[in-house]
Amino acid sequence: MNKKRKNNIQGLTFMAPATLTASLFIVVPIAYAFFMMFFNINLLSGTRTFIGFDNFSKIIGDPRFWAALRNTSTYVAVVVPIQTSIALILAALLNSKIKFNRVFLTVMFIPTLTSSSAMTLIFMWLFNNNGLVVNQIQQLTGARIQFLTNPDLALSVIMIMNIFSTVPHFMVVFLSGLQDIPANLYEAAAIDGATKVRQFFHVTIPQLMPILFYVVTMGVVGTFQIFDQAFILSGGTGGPQNSTLTFTLYIYQLAFTSNDMGRASAMSFILGVIIFTFTWIINKVMKADEMNG
Amino acid sequence: MNKFVKSLGMVSTLALLAACTNGNETATEDESSESGQETVGNMEGGNVNLAVWGSSPAETNALEETISSFEAETGIEVELEIIQDNFQDAMTARFAANNAPDVFYLEAFAAPMFIESGVLENISGEMDNTDDFFDPLIDVFRGEEDELFAVPKDYSTLALYVNEDMIEDAGLSVEDIPRDWDDLLVFAEELQGELEDNQAAMIVDQTLARHYSAFINNGLDPAGDEGQADFTSSPEALEYFQSIVDGTEAGFLQNPQIDMGIDSAGAAFGAGRAAMMIEGNWVISALNQEYSDVNYTVLESPTINGEEQSMTFTVGYTVARDAQNRDEAIAFINYMTGDGLKQWSELSGTLPPRESVAEEMNLFDNPVLEPHVLAAEYGTVWSSGESLPVVAASFDNYFQAAVNGTMTVEEAMEAAENEANAELDRR
Repeated sequence: MNKKRKNNIQGLTFMAPATLTASLFIVVPIAYAFFMMFFNINLLSGTRTFIGFDNFSKIIGDPRFWAALRNTSTYVAVVVPIQTSIALILAALLNSKIKFNRVFLTVMFIPTLTSSSAMTLIFMWLFNNNGLVVNQIQQLTGARIQFLTNPDLALSVIMIMNIFSTVPHFMVVFLSGLQDIPANLYEAAAIDGATKVRQFFHVTIPQLMPILFYVVTMGVVGTFQIFDQAFILSGGTGGPQNSTLTFTLYIYQLAFTSNDMGRASAMSFILGVIIFTFTWIINKVMKADEMNG
Repeated sequence: MNKFVKSLGMVSTLALLAACTNGNETATEDESSESGQETVGNMEGGNVNLAVWGSSPAETNALEETISSFEAETGIEVELEIIQDNFQDAMTARFAANNAPDVFYLEAFAAPMFIESGVLENISGEMDNTDDFFDPLIDVFRGEEDELFAVPKDYSTLALYVNEDMIEDAGLSVEDIPRDWDDLLVFAEELQGELEDNQAAMIVDQTLARHYSAFINNGLDPAGDEGQADFTSSPEALEYFQSIVDGTEAGFLQNPQIDMGIDSAGAAFGAGRAAMMIEGNWVISALNQEYSDVNYTVLESPTINGEEQSMTFTVGYTVARDAQNRDEAIAFINYMTGDGLKQWSELSGTLPPRESVAEEMNLFDNPVLEPHVLAAEYGTVWSSGESLPVVAASFDNYFQAAVNGTMTVEEAMEAAENEANAELDRR
């Protein structure tokens, strides 16, 4: 008992610096945000008035909140399934014995290493009104589609960009998962007469479930927090006509355009609740606890 | 057990070391501030801390040299702190933490917010010879009762840049370029007919920051009335914005990022992709250094409805309220915007906000800078009420919709006005 206690103290001592830093820079700010969301705050002059849940009712009454909700949900609903399936397919291809798979892996990993702001500029170059994509589409179909300024299409450019840049990371995660699947499972399935396709759905996918859970969760969290691409593409306005306004961009505008930290904190809290709920649902649906436990 | 004692000992040694270094630092700081307070009275020595944002190496260099001259002249020591990004947010945080610098840069755009929050020192009557400043540049830093809260250190204005070779290749001449906006558009349309497909007659930025003067010239300040935005009550202003939409549709006005895929107007102009652009004097150094083969002329900004107009962007020095080293701070900004102004302007390549210094530097005889300096007198400074950031964000959000044809200009302005008003109500 005594020894155990000493071990505990030793452990805690070693953890102390990290715990201290984490609580100072993570826990305290979060707690302060909880406190701020019930106030109307002017950071400059340091005045604050308690307004209860007014910040929340203001947010609910703001059409831009609903625009942000619509954009972000569309974004998550489109990006997460596509990026997960493309990553899985690419990983499965790389895991088969094709030639030069190391080379492919390296080349395909490059987009993840590129900074998102550089990526945004490249995509703006591709999709601008005189850009490669627009001109190609015009040559092929005769229609001139303006991606960046059309409210219906501006978000799709960001979606494509995000899929392009996150797929490689998840692909590598899937690949490591695939390489962990014992070969004898496939042998057994083959002896039982399963085709390659059935092997994929009945051996590979079930074996990959823990990895899949990780990929989907990180995908959902990441896409809900989409900020930099939307910020650069619209110059921080979320335009045209709020079509690229995402939750985090909305929080940024509340804090730094409207200068209203209270409302920005309240909105961050709402976003936190939404992400938490989604992750919880995914956890339940995919039965992650049972798999990992 | 032995291990445990050892590790505990190590951790405590480390902690002790850390505490010691901390202690030393605070000790030196205390000393210097004490010595500062002793000498406040006779203005010999003392110190002042200054926070600025990081800009080009040339500007940082110029600032450091001008500071050295100030230190040599007064014996006051300046502690310079360069904040690399999000300067305004960093300043806000410093004020929130009661740790504001004595002197800092204040952008005209953000000035109303700082002034109305009451965190700036009233420096009315303490600045030398304020009449010498171009009026619009200093007035923007005044409060409701004409109190002065900051003094401009430099400014930029918009002017019309013309690529002479492209104009002449098109069979036109620079002398033919009309001063009036409507005529300029006719000229641009004619010019576009002579250019190649990937070239634009004129580059136009579609954000409010570049067009606020079109509202002001027509007697409307969209953010003038606190709590109310107004984009719609001037039909002449709407006509102006309609002309931008029409010009974009016809293809002779283009946006560098959206229509050409080039990240800045200066780059498009420098690469020979645009014959004309309305830009600030910040493009000059890039044009001279990176695109030195471009043969260009600078003309004054076009007139709108027969009136001269331009946009002016200015930054000033301001003193935090109840600053610890108030007297030194005031001496410092007086020097930087007075005796040291010429040195600063010459070294940094920025325009001096004092007319006398502009004359001393012969800027009125400089063909490239003259149009910019002339605009200091009539340009609209990019600043208005405290509501301007909200008003500008709404405009930028919706004007794009008018440009691409999803909304008419009237619809877009009305939508922007409603969105801004709703947001201002919520504040």
